[in-house]
Amino acid sequence: MTPVFLRYAIALIAAAGIGLLSAAVEAFGQEGECSVPERFYASEPQLNNTIKAFAGGEVVIAVLGGASTLGRAAGGSDRAWPARLSSALAERLPSARVKVVNLAVAGQTAKEAVKRLDRDVVPLKPTLVIWETGTMEAVRGTDVDEFREAMKAGIDELRAAGAEVVLMNVQFSRETDAMIHFGPYLSAMRELAEANDVPVFRRRGIMRHWAESGALDLRAKEGEKRRQVATKLYDCIGRAMGDFVTRGVPAAKPAASRSDR
Amino acid sequence: MSVTSGASVTERDLRLDFFRGAALFSIFIDHLPNNILAEFTLQSVMFSDAAEVFILISGYTAGMVYGRAIERQGFLVAAVRVYHRVWQLYVAHVFLFMMFMAMMAYTAGALNNSLYAEEFGAANFLNEPGLAVVKALILQFQPAFMDILPLYIVLLAVLPLVLTGFRYCPWLMFLVSFALWLAVQFDHRVALSAYPGPDRVWYFNPFAWQALFLLGAWLGWRGIRGGVSWRNQRWLFWLAAGVALAAFLIRFNWTLRSFYNPIPVLVSGEPLWPFASKANLGPLRFANVLALALLVARLIHPKARFLASHAAWPFAVCGRNSLHIFCLGILLSVLGHLVLNEFFGGIPMQFAVSAAGVAIMVGVAALMEWFGAAQAASGGTALGAPTASRGARG
Repeated sequence: MTPVFLRYAIALIAAAGIGLLSAAVEAFGQEGECSVPERFYASEPQLNNTIKAFAGGEVVIAVLGGASTLGRAAGGSDRAWPARLSSALAERLPSARVKVVNLAVAGQTAKEAVKRLDRDVVPLKPTLVIWETGTMEAVRGTDVDEFREAMKAGIDELRAAGAEVVLMNVQFSRETDAMIHFGPYLSAMRELAEANDVPVFRRRGIMRHWAESGALDLRAKEGEKRRQVATKLYDCIGRAMGDFVTRGVPAAKPAASRSDR
Repeated sequence: MSVTSGASVTERDLRLDFFRGAALFSIFIDHLPNNILAEFTLQSVMFSDAAEVFILISGYTAGMVYGRAIERQGFLVAAVRVYHRVWQLYVAHVFLFMMFMAMMAYTAGALNNSLYAEEFGAANFLNEPGLAVVKALILQFQPAFMDILPLYIVLLAVLPLVLTGFRYCPWLMFLVSFALWLAVQFDHRVALSAYPGPDRVWYFNPFAWQALFLLGAWLGWRGIRGGVSWRNQRWLFWLAAGVALAAFLIRFNWTLRSFYNPIPVLVSGEPLWPFASKANLGPLRFANVLALALLVARLIHPKARFLASHAAWPFAVCGRNSLHIFCLGILLSVLGHLVLNEFFGGIPMQFAVSAAGVAIMVGVAALMEWFGAAQAASGGTALGAPTASRGARG
């Protein structure tokens, strides 16, 4: 028994060691800017109507979401990512008249968001609705099918009202990962989006990438430092979202330089 | 190889140990966050995953072992043995919960001072630690990873009743079991409530999963009576092969698409989802795991050379010590989580953590067998039970 066991143990320990070494090597030489690798966007469908609307006329972007979209951690709604998206788009498309409306409510579930659509969202006649959702469901452990049905109902209603939809998934956080079952809700969103041809802004993966590459220190604890990190995070998300929704806009040259390759 | 007594060598079905070991590795690997290796386990090619395999084999083993105990030692002794096992599982659950609480206490402070404070505030169970502890003791508090042991505990707790039922009116047992499973499929409110409420329920719905465990237990119970006659029906084999092949084509196509998007979809997932719920053991998952089990039963001999080979040994040694290795796997997943989130490092790091975890699982299992054998040789009992029967327990 011993030699067999030893052989396996040595092989596995060697594999672990090689992995650790290459991980250490990989950690060198990473830059501190919050750019987003192309792989996060590449497979997502483009927003054809919105792209057309950017070329002329007025574009209304409505944003649904929870606490992280509301932006209180950064100190105010002008620092929330929808506000930063608005500035990013103004910078990128100076000729377009884009209005971003932040309708986020802290702690709102997908089901609750759907109930608000006909009253708060549809009257705005949005060209695009960005819907950040799934956090409360994961925190509360809501039935996954119920979450999926709510998202589907929301997407159908918004599309019927003539809007395009982008979904945004949960934030990345080291602290909660081992405590909350995000997996089923993340896959539910991904599967539903794929089946309905809805692009997903993969915030969780993108934030993880930033934390990994050292672009953002998401562990900042003290009040002021924390606010600074949140401000930078929301700015990065807003600009990344600007890149995301303008993919395919003919004049959008800067998009290429912002990718990390 | 391991030391087992003559009697149990002839009776031992090596497939059970091997596939249970494989399920244990897979549960550990699937539980690591963003682990690329999780794309290479059963869940990427089939609707069912390691959880179904684990519960089915556990049911089978329990039916076989305790069914035999009823025949040899009588109902009372067998029932006491079952509840001794339930007690062990419960203690393991409480032990894992302590580990979890320690981690929570450590991270909760950090969470409250983070930019996620507002968003994840509702997840902070430490606001009422007293209640959380009580809820964990009555199996209602099931934080991440701590959901499969409570299921196993309640399933095993009703086993004496089930085995008695098999003896006198098996059809009634199946009728009740199937009706319960069906009720869950039609109405998700047929569930056990969990903490923190109000709408949280047990992740693995015991009213649905009992059907798989019960079927496994019945097959194991019949197994000691010469097996079931219909198992060797030709049409059943082809049906199972068809189901497994269809599941493979549909599911693997989705997996490939997640790697390379331009691949066309064979069958859209949307109409299938309601039938593939993991929490409620949807019919697709149920049918899928049964098809796989039948194929394995027909295609792989219980004493196949491969199962006794060196290559299969790490799986078998873990499968033989499943309770301890299962708990260890859960603990390692939590630690792996911390490591992967703390140091990142991408795919090499994921490989490193997965390999290290599997190495620890195999190492501990081997150590347990070695110790068990040494104790048995010196006339004592090993870790509470003789080696031969320990390996065979559910």
